[in-house]
Amino acid sequence: MIVVLLAGLATLAGGAVVAAAPGALATGLRLQAAGALALGVAGFWALGDGGTWGASFTSALTPHFGVDGLTGLFLGTLGLIAFPSLVFASAYVRQDGPGRVTGVLTGAFVLALVGVLCTRDALSFLLFWELMTLVPAAIILVGRNTESARHTVFTYVAITHLGGAGTWIALLLLAHEGAIGDPSALADGSAIQAVVALAAIVGFGTKAGLMPMHAWLPRAHPIAPAPVSALMSGVMVAVAAYGLVRVLVDWLGDPPPWVGATVLFLGGLSALGGITYALFQRDLKRLLAYSTVEHLGIVALGLGACLLMRTHGADQWAAFALAAALLHTVNHAVFKALLFLGAGTFERATGSLELDRLGGLLRRLPWTGGAFLVGTLAIAGMPLLNGFASEWLTLQSLLHVPAYAGVWDGTLGAVALAALAGTMALAVLCFVKVIGLVLLGPARRTACAEAVEPAVAMRFAIVALAGACVALGAAPGVLFSRLTGLAPWSGAGGESPVHAGLALPGTGNLPTLGLLAVIGGLAVLLWLARGERRAAVSPTWACGQLVEPPLQWTSAGFTKPLRLVLEAVLRPEREIEVTRRGGVVQEVSYTGRVPHLIDVYLYRPVTSGALLAAAWARRLQSGRLGTYVAYLVGLVLVLLTAVRIGLIG
Amino acid sequence: MTTQTVVAGAVQVVGGVAAAPLLIGLTQQVKARLQGRRGPGPLQPYRELRRLWGKSSVEVEGTTIVYRIAPVLVAAALGTAILLVPAAQSAPGWGVGHDALALAGVLALARLVVCAAAWDTSNGFALQGASRDLTLSVFVEAALVLSLAVAALVSGTTDLRGIVAGTAGDGPWTTPALALGAIAFVLVVIAETGRQPVDNPDTHLELTMIHEGPILEYGGRDQALLQWAMAARHWLVLVLAAQVFLPHAQGTWWQLALLPLTLLLLCGALALTETLVAKMRILLVPRLIGVGAAVALLGIVTWLVETA
Repeated sequence: MIVVLLAGLATLAGGAVVAAAPGALATGLRLQAAGALALGVAGFWALGDGGTWGASFTSALTPHFGVDGLTGLFLGTLGLIAFPSLVFASAYVRQDGPGRVTGVLTGAFVLALVGVLCTRDALSFLLFWELMTLVPAAIILVGRNTESARHTVFTYVAITHLGGAGTWIALLLLAHEGAIGDPSALADGSAIQAVVALAAIVGFGTKAGLMPMHAWLPRAHPIAPAPVSALMSGVMVAVAAYGLVRVLVDWLGDPPPWVGATVLFLGGLSALGGITYALFQRDLKRLLAYSTVEHLGIVALGLGACLLMRTHGADQWAAFALAAALLHTVNHAVFKALLFLGAGTFERATGSLELDRLGGLLRRLPWTGGAFLVGTLAIAGMPLLNGFASEWLTLQSLLHVPAYAGVWDGTLGAVALAALAGTMALAVLCFVKVIGLVLLGPARRTACAEAVEPAVAMRFAIVALAGACVALGAAPGVLFSRLTGLAPWSGAGGESPVHAGLALPGTGNLPTLGLLAVIGGLAVLLWLARGERRAAVSPTWACGQLVEPPLQWTSAGFTKPLRLVLEAVLRPEREIEVTRRGGVVQEVSYTGRVPHLIDVYLYRPVTSGALLAAAWARRLQSGRLGTYVAYLVGLVLVLLTAVRIGLIG
Repeated sequence: MTTQTVVAGAVQVVGGVAAAPLLIGLTQQVKARLQGRRGPGPLQPYRELRRLWGKSSVEVEGTTIVYRIAPVLVAAALGTAILLVPAAQSAPGWGVGHDALALAGVLALARLVVCAAAWDTSNGFALQGASRDLTLSVFVEAALVLSLAVAALVSGTTDLRGIVAGTAGDGPWTTPALALGAIAFVLVVIAETGRQPVDNPDTHLELTMIHEGPILEYGGRDQALLQWAMAARHWLVLVLAAQVFLPHAQGTWWQLALLPLTLLLLCGALALTETLVAKMRILLVPRLIGVGAAVALLGIVTWLVETA
């Protein structure tokens, strides 16, 4: 296993170097992809045989590296996503100066992600953690050095570093207490345990895009090149979830109930909030970025259920909930990477990702469009595909919270259950809209009517990921049975026996293969029974009207009923201007948008307050020598007075 | 496999596939009588299905495989749902499990497929129905999952066979938890079957309907499959209402014997509400169903307080 891992790392690094050479970009990226594939194999291998390699976690501050089951799972996911993404990149990234720099940096990005997963001490973890944040910022700036991109990158780096302070505090405190890798080092219910838990939730939660710390994510993920967006939205947020699991589940001992309740609350807020705002986006990549917030919220729901049930002694279900969260992390990585790569292809093929100006792409791009359709069905939580399997597990975990966790936490679990059910229905609404506006209907621009399939490498990457969606949906039990064994507590029952489907005590089971066979079999039978008798082709019925382009439905139109229903919460803005001349209406202009309330009511006051404070502080810096001398004299006087009255010295 | 399992399985499949249109026919007939009309008789849906099966389907300009496959997939999803919902507390395995939450997923699949087909035809009226249906489904899904959660907590499993057994007899009705879940489920029944005050099954006017909207373009055998799927939806929610959310007997034989009677009563109740209640303004429906979800939540809290 370790040989494969090291070979993968060497190939990856070699690929990054080769990509810098003129004319060797595609070769370099393909080398990187091969390395990523080896990493994935090594990761799943480590997860499968349950063995560990290298150092175990230590509170010492010297560099230590190692691999265990949980690291193996995330390494495997990294490989599963990075391999197709890098193959895609080898045809997608342009062969010019900035393209070569991007090629080198993608290798560095993957290496940084591996670094975060494989370090076993606080300092190297934080080093790779910072690299993981900064490398994508560099990639974005190399590819798109405009005013707005610079502003976005500033927001990204600022918010992730302000929030990232939580990561530093949590890890350094844990190292100081000797608690890294040792859950018994922190006294249960102590203040230091509470501080570590809060700092970790803020620090890793910011990186995972949990609301309300998510503001950077929908801005930064869409403007990166498609393969990097896939890595950021698929793997980087998963690595943040890895951090949360490590600190909250592995190292914190037995945390008080409020930790689980907080994670559950943030998860529910992110899931509902993320998908609601995704609905009202008009840009495909931004919509996908908001849906990342939603899915990390679902992961947090599973994690919160795990912590709550662990607190209340339901160890077996806590292990199931943890496995549900981990499985959803993997599933989300797969379909989100697929959708981002698909979006990148559509952008290349048609020049724009504005939802209202696409359409009809399933006919023009059957391979990419078909795979994209599979991805949207998976992300909308349709049975038979991977998204439903882990969402079903999360629903079951939340449903079992009331059964074990007492009145207060049980009520919270039931509310979270309702939130997740609503989220899943909203996801159907959101992705039906995406399917309709992007893949179906008439082409809304000439560029869409003339779009062609991309290079084979790009097509291969997208179809491979769609295959992964189907495979993980048909046999989620294979991975799940391994994941329940990752729970660190005894009495979790260890690994469950391997089924293709999901079989949990106290449920009606989800035999995925059986469902696949029955739905598929019935569909084939009915298709045959229906036969091919068809009347002549007829135009769409619109009450006798001709269906013209102005009659096309838009994204805003499709979501209008929901916008009206949620008006009190969302506070949409709309303006209608009617221009009349001589009593006759000449033109009507309509503008409407759904403002992002957390930006308006949380971030804007904070940033404007910070700017005011900065403006005030700047007055101290007058630039005149006399003023600075006066400051010095004042300081000396204050110190002397303090000594005199005995405050210091 | 015991005799009662075999009989229960036969009732489940034959009832779901063949008797489901009768539920619609009965409801319409009772409604006609209540409104002082003679009505076409309870067998009318079967005549419609036969008529549609003999006609050729309509192909719409510019549509893809999504439009063609939708009726087939919807019927397949509903067929699977029939296998998921047992008619009594014992049922054969069928290879798909009997999970309550899987049922919610399969129903969501049917909904998504129909709405995607609406986009494929890019018919404005179809999309109007689709967007309304999906908007309501956000609240219906929450109410459905929460009311099923009440029943699951009361009976200690999400296996529908176990739920039917666990809610049988008068034991579960000594506390208000299940009754609160039942109130929420009433609203789910009305929304899923597309009946007043949520939707009006009698109207075929483009602007007033919800469930009829997305399937506006279909004809012939496609339409027959979709109409059967709607009947199967009636069967599913009414059987769940009868065997989980209404007092029902213990033991498979009694449950099977009383099922037709309860279904008949439920059809009568649906007809009565349709006669007495007018259709609600579409934007007020989410509020109503949201209240239902809140009542189910209250049911869970009641259960928690009782068991604590």
